[in-house]
Amino acid sequence: MAAAPLLEIDDLRLAYATERGTVRAVDGVGLTLRRNEAVVILGESGCGKSSLAKALLRTLPRNAYAPEGRVRLDGAEVLGLPEERFRRQVRWVRIALVMQAAMNALNPVVRVGEQVAEPLRIHRGCSRRQAAARAAEAFAEVGIPGDFLQRYPHELSGGMRQRAVLAMALVTEPDIVVLDEPTSALDVLTQAAIMNVLKRIKRDRGVSFVLITHDVATSSEIADRVALMYAGQVVEEASAEAFFTAPAHPYSQMLMASVPRLHQPEPPQPIPGRPPSLLEPPAGCRFAERCPQRFDRCSEPPPALPLGERHRVRCWLHATGGGRP
Amino acid sequence: MRALLSGSALRDLGRLGLFTAKRLGALLVTVLIGVYLTIVIANMGGKVDELRMVQIRSEVAEQVRADPAFQDLSAEERQRLMERQVQLEVERLRLDEPFFWRSLDYLRQAMLLDLGRAEQMHSDAGSRQVYNIIAERLPATLVLFGTGNLLVFFVSVYAALGLSRRYGSALDRAVIGLAPSSAAPGWFYGIFLILLLAFIAPLFPSGGMVAAPPPESAWAYAASLARHMALPLAAIFISQIFISIYSWRTFFLIHSSEDYVEMARAKGLPERLIERRYILRPSLSPIVTSFLLMLIGLWSGAIILEQVFNWPGLGTLLFEAIGQRDTPVIIGSVVIFAYLLAATVFLLDILYAILDPRVRLDRERS
Repeated sequence: MAAAPLLEIDDLRLAYATERGTVRAVDGVGLTLRRNEAVVILGESGCGKSSLAKALLRTLPRNAYAPEGRVRLDGAEVLGLPEERFRRQVRWVRIALVMQAAMNALNPVVRVGEQVAEPLRIHRGCSRRQAAARAAEAFAEVGIPGDFLQRYPHELSGGMRQRAVLAMALVTEPDIVVLDEPTSALDVLTQAAIMNVLKRIKRDRGVSFVLITHDVATSSEIADRVALMYAGQVVEEASAEAFFTAPAHPYSQMLMASVPRLHQPEPPQPIPGRPPSLLEPPAGCRFAERCPQRFDRCSEPPPALPLGERHRVRCWLHATGGGRP
Repeated sequence: MRALLSGSALRDLGRLGLFTAKRLGALLVTVLIGVYLTIVIANMGGKVDELRMVQIRSEVAEQVRADPAFQDLSAEERQRLMERQVQLEVERLRLDEPFFWRSLDYLRQAMLLDLGRAEQMHSDAGSRQVYNIIAERLPATLVLFGTGNLLVFFVSVYAALGLSRRYGSALDRAVIGLAPSSAAPGWFYGIFLILLLAFIAPLFPSGGMVAAPPPESAWAYAASLARHMALPLAAIFISQIFISIYSWRTFFLIHSSEDYVEMARAKGLPERLIERRYILRPSLSPIVTSFLLMLIGLWSGAIILEQVFNWPGLGTLLFEAIGQRDTPVIIGSVVIFAYLLAATVFLLDILYAILDPRVRLDRERS
């Protein structure tokens, strides 16, 4: 193997303490991301995909246990970094975050421009004027008129707020931008506009994206790679091409069949049943209960099995050399 | 273009003026109602007049009996004289008019801050003007409760911020556990403090505001005042601090779980900056509200605490005034309180617009 990948997540685990017990929101997630790649983390609500984002930036709620596992940036372990070093060396310098819809992601009493410029002042030691100038550039890049810098968040539309949050993530030129459902509260036209901005930025800036979404259609627009999550685990990690044309995991297949398509005569097929509780996940394969292809071995937990170049599937069907073509 | 701009600016100004006028009008009506209710209650709906009549009769009778000039009058003549004296007094106090009309008159005087003369009480300097009586007591109340409440306010906000950062820690749980200690009022702790630190171990005086006679030099006076203030101050502090920290802590916990705080943390801002700009700054409106209401709350003092520590403040004054049914003094202090409250509410309206940009827009849209 050549150079270490930009981001390498290995066996990441994250649990929350709740009144009803310990919820294992992320349970042994592995993932790799190379420079200028966009990986889409796809999954239903509650599968742990947002927890994964929180664990990456360590913005965990108070009831979360410290995440376990390994997260490497350019081969250097960052999960164990002390808080202050993590803040100075990783947050917004290497990894930036774009939160959902920007509804409440912006401080209501501070001007938008100031909030966008803030990371520059903290991490790059820019003067107020330098930071403001770079913030203006970032605004232009995401398509917000320059005079919006002087406005307060409530004076912006939802789409404009989302763009402002995006500008904030780009301003320090981080290697990785984590986007947590960046378009889910927006109308279709605004969604498309934001996706176009993302595509352009990826092309021009060479930045890597970790896009977290439940929307298969949106994700297919930008994804180089796809990691499908189910009940706290990545069940399939593949290139976008492989995932969208020939998904290997039964859940992937059923998920793709559940998405309505334009040029497809048969109606979309919903997946029967519901995901298991993360309080007491099943001992074996977590999808077994809903899986039409389950067999004896599914009562044991399947490992992430390699299935070609950077393609891994957590399913026993692919265990014996060539279970499937 | 310029004409258009100045036109819109003028419109804005006009709208602002209209808004201010409306607010002031509403506040004036509120003060009016509050003061009138106080007048009616302090006069017991006119019942006090009967008591006053009895008082006037006995006073006049006493005067006539004691005056040697009237000694050789016959009983009948003396009776007539008394009746005439009573009649004069009744006319002077206008007790023959219906209470309702007089109450409106009282209201007018009160609203114009013409607080009148006390019926029984007088200031230490001997003045019977209600204004002088109140002005004499005000500093004592302000110095004690001002120091106490400011101390409680700033200590608890600061401690609460720190505590909200250590949610669930042993310290946090200890403060929550101690919060019910505020169920007991300040005077309750005051009694124990007097017992412990004034009698068993006589470190502090048990009451009063300064040593008698008051020290001559300013420094000695301040030192004496501080020694006398120590126990009541401790009583105020103990009785309020834990519940105050607890409620501010909860307040900050709620405000620190906003999305933009998480965002600020992800941005890698230092914790101090997050606290200042992302937790305190957006929640400043309720903090300032609480602070200002606390400040005017000082006005009335605390009746029982002042009694326990024999503190010559407004609480003691009000207690005495109620005991002696000295309505002008009661009404006078309520009127000043009502005006202070109204002024504070008005000030808060303006402060909200300065502190929170969203308020400005709402006003412009309406």
